[in-house]
Amino acid sequence: MFSIFKGLVGSKALDEDSMRPVLDKMRDHLIAKNVAADIANKLCDSVATKLRGKVLGTFDSVAKTIKATLTESLVQILSPKRRVDILRDCLHAKQQGRPYVMAFCGVNGVGKSTNLAKICFWLIENDLSVMIAACDTFRAGAVEQLRTHVRRLDALHPNRSCVRLYEKGYGKDAAGIAMEAIRYAADSKIDVVLIDTAGRMQDNEPLMRALAKLITVNEPDLVLFVGEALVGNEAVDQLVKFNQALADYSSSANPHVIDGIVLTKFDTIDDKVGAAISMTYITGQPIVFVGTGQTYTDLKALNANAVVHALMK
Amino acid sequence: MVLADLGRKITTALQSLSRATVINEEVLNSMLKQICAALLEADVNIRLVKNLRENVRAVIDFDDMAGGLNKRRMIQSAVFKELVKLVDPGVKPYQPVKGKSNVIMFVGLQGSGKTTTCTKLAYHYLRKNWKSCLVCADTFRAGAYDQVKQNCTKARIPFYGSYTEVDPVVIASTGVEMFKKEGFEMIIVDTSGRHKQEESLFEEMLAVANAVNPDNIIFVMDATIGQACEAQARAFKDKVDIGSVIITKLDGHAKGGGALSAVAATQSPIIFIGTGEHIDDLEPFKTKPFINKLLGMGDIEGLLDK
Ligand SMILES: Nc1nc2c(ncn2[C@@H]2O[C@H](COP(=O)(O)OP(=O)(O)OP(=O)(O)O)[C@@H](O)[C@H]2O)c(=O)[nH]1
Ligand SMILES: Nc1nc2c(ncn2[C@@H]2O[C@H](COP(=O)(O)OP(=O)(O)OP(=O)(O)O)[C@@H](O)[C@H]2O)c(=O)[nH]1
Ligand SMILES: [Mg+2]
Ligand SMILES: [Mg+2]
Repeated sequence: MFSIFKGLVGSKALDEDSMRPVLDKMRDHLIAKNVAADIANKLCDSVATKLRGKVLGTFDSVAKTIKATLTESLVQILSPKRRVDILRDCLHAKQQGRPYVMAFCGVNGVGKSTNLAKICFWLIENDLSVMIAACDTFRAGAVEQLRTHVRRLDALHPNRSCVRLYEKGYGKDAAGIAMEAIRYAADSKIDVVLIDTAGRMQDNEPLMRALAKLITVNEPDLVLFVGEALVGNEAVDQLVKFNQALADYSSSANPHVIDGIVLTKFDTIDDKVGAAISMTYITGQPIVFVGTGQTYTDLKALNANAVVHALMK
Repeated sequence: MVLADLGRKITTALQSLSRATVINEEVLNSMLKQICAALLEADVNIRLVKNLRENVRAVIDFDDMAGGLNKRRMIQSAVFKELVKLVDPGVKPYQPVKGKSNVIMFVGLQGSGKTTTCTKLAYHYLRKNWKSCLVCADTFRAGAYDQVKQNCTKARIPFYGSYTEVDPVVIASTGVEMFKKEGFEMIIVDTSGRHKQEESLFEEMLAVANAVNPDNIIFVMDATIGQACEAQARAFKDKVDIGSVIITKLDGHAKGGGALSAVAATQSPIIFIGTGEHIDDLEPFKTKPFINKLLGMGDIEGLLDK
């Protein structure tokens, strides 16, 4: 009787026992939405820490309070701490008389080349000229894939040359090709260089070293990690190890790690949008683009509120 | 080894039973909690994990049982059975027949590794002296035909495709017809990547399947996939008659558990795993030996015998 009365006036402070069942449910819910298990745990723990000892108001339930706090943290995780304004930075580089350079990296088959082509489309629609550097010199058909995109994209504006391909075929050193492409672009007054790289597994040391070399030698303005929204717990390991490899294998005193994320195949996951949380939680870096299909226009900016809504639904 | 991490965690959890002096509900729950956490970290579908937990719990009635050893054994074998169920759909995979034309069609999500795996499989049979070949029915992805062409040229695998024909159905049926006439034994058809949300892509897959009437359809799944696997795999199965699964990219750190959901969703066995980008990075997969190895079966059997 007394405890019900206490509940009614809302004087009960939140403790571990009252929160645990709700938190466990929340965690399972996040995992079902494809948030990495470890991160789902950490998120729930931090909600518990925030709320411990808090006295609930008259009309607040434990579940409602936890949900609201979790929602708030999720929005915060997805909200960029730093704005990446590529168009502005491209113009800035142009004023300095040099091309703006972006490098794309990630594991195999996630959509690096396709989304590079979509970003190229977006750049040329913004009146910039682009050079694509074919630095995947390993996977069969990688060069022809880019050549096809370049042919299609360049035909979009018959009155100006929008995009060119710099390629040296297969089997060559990627870092060297990137360097030549950047030099060529500078000489030809091309505004942006997009560097396509071969997919690689984060544990493959020789390939990770080669990537670190490409980044160190060419000092791109922006290093984008391309990850697919389909990825599960592996997202964490991929990002941690790509960042680590770029830091550890760099010969530079101030190594350049991942600046931002391209989240691809967002159209294939329904409301299982958790990879967006896993990736931003791990890196603290913004999702700069979201890939939502296989055509040039299927490139969007992240809508943090919509993602959180899908997660909490 | 694949899923080694998971195997270790499950074995540890099971061993907690033999350490406990009394087997009560608390011990069981704590063991199940460990096992389920390990499965979730390995990306196994959350619904399958919940089923596993319920099924193991249902085996034991604490009020109705006496001996501790008996309880231990029952719990362990229940866990083992549930794990086998995850990987083993209980159907025999299609066995290609030498001396006859076997048409195998590959399907799967974008970038899962279909084209690479097609070449690996053709090469696998080529080395066993089968007449094997590849048909490239992907007319969508930029550079798809070049990819097949370069792969096949390097491995000396005959191939068929077209730079000008845009209809995959036409290419697939022409190519398969041609190779059948020439007496090829292993005719592999590569198709574009697709996903359930785009109905026209699924219709196209069905049209290709109807045109070439494959002996087996192989669903290719990337080992890094998470919770989205099940819905996609189920949708593929609902559209075409998938008979086998190949899981790719297991050379990385991948947990591979998400891809296992494809087995349950398609009710089809895994027949090979991909372990690298090179043409011979393909390993045959057999369910029971895999589970034995995963759980260090020696141990488990020992525990069960006691
Ligand atoms: N549905 C969907 N498919 C996509 C998206 N982005 C890329 N793809 C598809 O994913 C597949 C792989 O894309 P690629 O761009 O070749 O991937 P990659 O990362 O360059 O691959 P590798 O260079 O081989 O490592 C292709 O079939 C693309 O059409 C997307 O946002 N949505
Ligand atoms: N590390 C590793 N990479 C693999 C494996 N299988 C395929 N890949 C790589 O994954 C990427 C995509 O492979 P593809 O064979 O082009 O995939 P796909 O399913 O044909 O792609 P789409 O036709 O665009 O749908 C390529 O970079 C392959 O080299 C594997 O077992 N291990
Ligand atoms: Mg590529
Ligand atoms: Mg392909």
